[in-house]
Order: sequence, then C-alpha cells, then structure tokens
Amino acid sequence: MASQSAYLAPAPPRLRFRGAKAIQIAILVIVCVLIMFPIYWMLLSIVQPYKYSLAYNPSLFFRGFDLSPFHTVFLNYSMGLWLWNSTQLALIVTVICLGLSLLGAYALSKLRWKAKPGFGFFILLTQMMPGAIIIVPVLRLYRSLGLVNSLPALAFVQAAFALPICIWILKNVFDSVPGEVMEAALTEGCGEMGVLWRMMLPLSIPGLVAVCVVGFFFSWNEFLFASTFISPDSGLLPGSVGLGTMQGLYDTPIQLLLAAGFIFALPPVVFYILIQRYMISGLTAGAVKG
Amino acid sequence: MGSAGLLQFIARLSRRRLPYLLALPILIYEGIFILYPMLVGIQYSLSNIQAGSTASNWVGFDNYHRMLTDNTFWQAVKVTVEYSLAVIVVALSVAVGTAMLMNQAFRGRGIFRALLTTPWAFPDIPTTIVFVWMASPIYGVLGKMARWLPWVHNNPKWLLDPHLALATIVLISVWKGFPFYSLVILAALQGVPQELYEAATVDGANAPTRFRYVTLPAIKPTLMLLALLAFIFSYQQYTLIWQTTGPGPLQTTQTLSILIYNEAFQFYDTSYAATIGVAGFVLSVIAALMFVFLERQARAAEER
Repeated sequence: MASQSAYLAPAPPRLRFRGAKAIQIAILVIVCVLIMFPIYWMLLSIVQPYKYSLAYNPSLFFRGFDLSPFHTVFLNYSMGLWLWNSTQLALIVTVICLGLSLLGAYALSKLRWKAKPGFGFFILLTQMMPGAIIIVPVLRLYRSLGLVNSLPALAFVQAAFALPICIWILKNVFDSVPGEVMEAALTEGCGEMGVLWRMMLPLSIPGLVAVCVVGFFFSWNEFLFASTFISPDSGLLPGSVGLGTMQGLYDTPIQLLLAAGFIFALPPVVFYILIQRYMISGLTAGAVKG
Repeated sequence: MGSAGLLQFIARLSRRRLPYLLALPILIYEGIFILYPMLVGIQYSLSNIQAGSTASNWVGFDNYHRMLTDNTFWQAVKVTVEYSLAVIVVALSVAVGTAMLMNQAFRGRGIFRALLTTPWAFPDIPTTIVFVWMASPIYGVLGKMARWLPWVHNNPKWLLDPHLALATIVLISVWKGFPFYSLVILAALQGVPQELYEAATVDGANAPTRFRYVTLPAIKPTLMLLALLAFIFSYQQYTLIWQTTGPGPLQTTQTLSILIYNEAFQFYDTSYAATIGVAGFVLSVIAALMFVFLERQARAAEER
C-alpha cells in the first residue's frame, strides 16, 4: 500500500471538529451499503433456497445456504464455453486497442502537425457513432465475406468502438508527461519513436493499464454486435449473449440466472479491485487540468 | 530484435511525416469499421431496401420525409433526450457527492473506494439480470422497500409501469455509470490547492460556501467534460434498455438506439432503420457541438 500515497497526493481538507468527520464516515458507510445492495441481493437470492426468494415479502437476510446453483450453471448451461469465448474476444480487443491507441495518443499529445485538430475531430466523431447505425451495413458486409460467426471478426468491430476512448485516455496520460523530459531525450539523440518506446511507455504504465481495462471491459460487456454477429448454435457465443439468451427464456430458474450473472461478473470485478489504484491514476491523469 | 530495427527505420523518417504515419493505421481501421458502414448506411437511407434482398431502388428523401412525419420517431427523440438528461444530472450529482466523501483522509478509504466503484466493473447483462429481479412486481425487493413508505400499499410495477419504466432504467444506468465519473472527479478534487480551502475558512466561509466558491469552480471543466461523455454514453445505451424493457410500456423507454434496432431486426426495414440512424447521428453531433460551444463561451466569460 506504500505506493498509494503517490497517486493520492495532497492531504484533503481538514475538518474543524471530529464530529463532522464521524458523520461523514457514517454517510459513506450508508452510501456504500446502498451501492452494494444489488450485489448483496444477487448473492442472497442465489444461495438461499428458492422458496424463500419467491416471497411477496422477502426477508432481507440469508435464510439457508446452498452453493449448488454455481455448479448447476456449468452443468446445465454452456457457462464454461461462454467464459472462454468472452476471454478470447476480450483479449483480441485489448491488443488492438493498446497497439493503435499508443500511436494515436502519441501523435495527438506530443507531436506537432497540421492535421492534428482534424484527426482529433475524426476520433470524436467515431466515438459519437451509435452502434445501432452501422450494425446493418457491417452485418451485410460480413455476410458477403463469410465473416459471421467468427470471434476475430466480431472483435475487430468491438475494438473500433472501444478505440476512441482508449486514445483519449492515453493522450491525457501522455499530456501529463512533462515536455522537458522529451526534449532532453531528443537532444540526447533519441528518435521520436525512441522517445515513445523508452520514455513515454515506462512513464505511462497506469495509463496503459487503464487502456487495457477499458478495452477488455468493453468487449466483455458488449452485447449488440455479439448478439447479431454470432448465432446461438455456432458454439461461439460470448458470455454476454449466452446470459442474454438465458434471460430470454421464461423457464430459467431465477437463482440459476443470477448465479450465471454473478460468475460472469466475477472476473472483471476481481480484476478491477486488484488494479484499481493504477486505474484511478491512469484514468484521471489529465482530468486535473480539465 | 525486429521491432527495434523497425523503430529505427521509422525514426529515420522525417519528423514531418511521422504523425501522419502514426495516424494512418487508425484512419484506415476506423474507416473500414465505422466510416465506411456509415456511408453505406446513408446510401441505404436514400433507397428502399428490405432485409434479405439486395435489390435497391433509389427513393431520394422519401425515407426522411416518412421519418419527420412519424410520431414514433419524435417520441423516441423525446425519450432519448429525457433519458440522457436524467442520467447526466443524477449520475454526476451522485458522483460529486461520493467523490467528496472519498476525498477525506481516513483509514481504510481504499476499501471504501473499491466498494463504491465496483458497479463500474460489473458487466451490463448481470446488472440487468439483478435489477429486473429486484424490480419484479411480485417478488421484487424494490417493491418491499417502496412499501416502507407510508403512502405505498402495493408493489409498484417498475419496468412495466409507463410512468416508472424510464425512471427505473435511469436508476439502473446511474448505478452502473456513476463510479467512473466519481473517480475522475475525485482526481480533480485532489488537484484543488489546499491553501484555497484554508484561506476560505479563515475568511469565515462555511462548508456550502466553500463548495460553491472553491470546489465547484475548480472541478467545473472536469464536470463539463464528463457531462459530454455521459451524454455520449447514454445516447448510445442499448444493452441496459434492451434487456430490461426494450421499447417498454407504451414505448416509454424506446430511445433512438432501441427504435433503430427494432426497425432493422423486428420489422426488417433496413432503409428506415438506416434513416433513423443517420438522423440520430446528426442530432448527436449537433448536440455535442452545441455543448462544446457553450462550454467555450462559459470559459471565455469567466476569463474576462
């Protein structure tokens, strides 16, 4: 935890009396309880026997404990396969986003060129494009090329939508690297790309982590393209669509649906909690300046 | 090492060409997957294409004329605006509040921060699963909680109620969306110089005054940026709405994204879906430009 202080720099405002601080912490606890309640309720409805959940006046506390839904989801549904497909998909998207956003962010942040505002505007435009607009043209294109039911082909489209925000995040991080560092490296005989490779990258690790997380989560989450480009019988459904089909069946027992959702949410949540310190400094490097 | 050799080669290129070389792969990539489909979409909107057929007749602006006289379209525009504005206001307010709470020095604030921001990492589909369950009119815990209020005697129907459906979706979207904004605001708060608060306190400013005259101006640029982002995100929101209500009771949750998808994949009206898509994109760009313009004006007025 020693490195934490580096990211959370200045001491926050000192309150005038201790009571105020106690009140603030009490509010914080209440807010946390409210925010976490849906996740708590999810767990409760999964592990307590079914009959207690199906009540007009459900108890707010656990009544009984049974972990079998977690097991049943893997047995009766293709949960394992869905997770594997989602993982492949998300990894491809992450790699594309990382590679391309490095180039774009460096060009936008540290290089001077005439078309820079135009390029920035282009990125903003692509970011504003709702997926629903381009889905039919892309679907037709993919059909004619035989690219439906292909995870890489789906990943390419997902990455196209995650890329703009990745570029902005990384640009902000690069902006916060002082120009003098770069000038010094250039006069030492480092090329522009050498500066990117040897100076910017090591100084921007939190930003790179943030880009990876944003790309990975985007793909893990993505439903619109995945549900349109992958057919259910292909054995290639990612988790989001697999869960969506479970949700669409009226006879799916609720504790199984919730258990599947919980398992699907677990990787990103655990991952996020592990790296959240990097995430925060990475996401927000440029935010301070506005 | 191959990559080092490649890097040296690139380094040897003149400084003037490098930025364009760096931008080129992105232009090509986004061109193939976003710009080209967008242009094809515009072409669709000017012709008459039904799903499954490849035959197309040029119909000029017929589809646009149909759209402008279509009440369903205007209803969707209204719902989109209502939804986006509600999410921006509520999510950013919650985010400012939680960020200020987290911006205090106390033991274990790392844990609080992790807990408070977990919903951001919680994927969309599980979010809809748990909220649909909580909002079930019969077994839902939200109904139980609503009945704690003295004037509520029966479970509200939440997502099935035309008056409550959109509000319930806003609640879900805020739960999922506010942590990201909160983290960014937290970072902005940590950049506010401590002396400002001390000086204000010495001058006798109480907490609300300090918030109004020290905190708010300091984080205002960040808030404006986040409002734009929140607008873009909620404008594009599809999953959270589709998996909870779809068009919703009396189409009260049918945003433009939902309408486009419905036209394309329920009614198989490719051309009309593309028309609404193009119009939706134009509207969002206009909104974003207006936003940027207003922000510039506000900033210029402040500096004067």
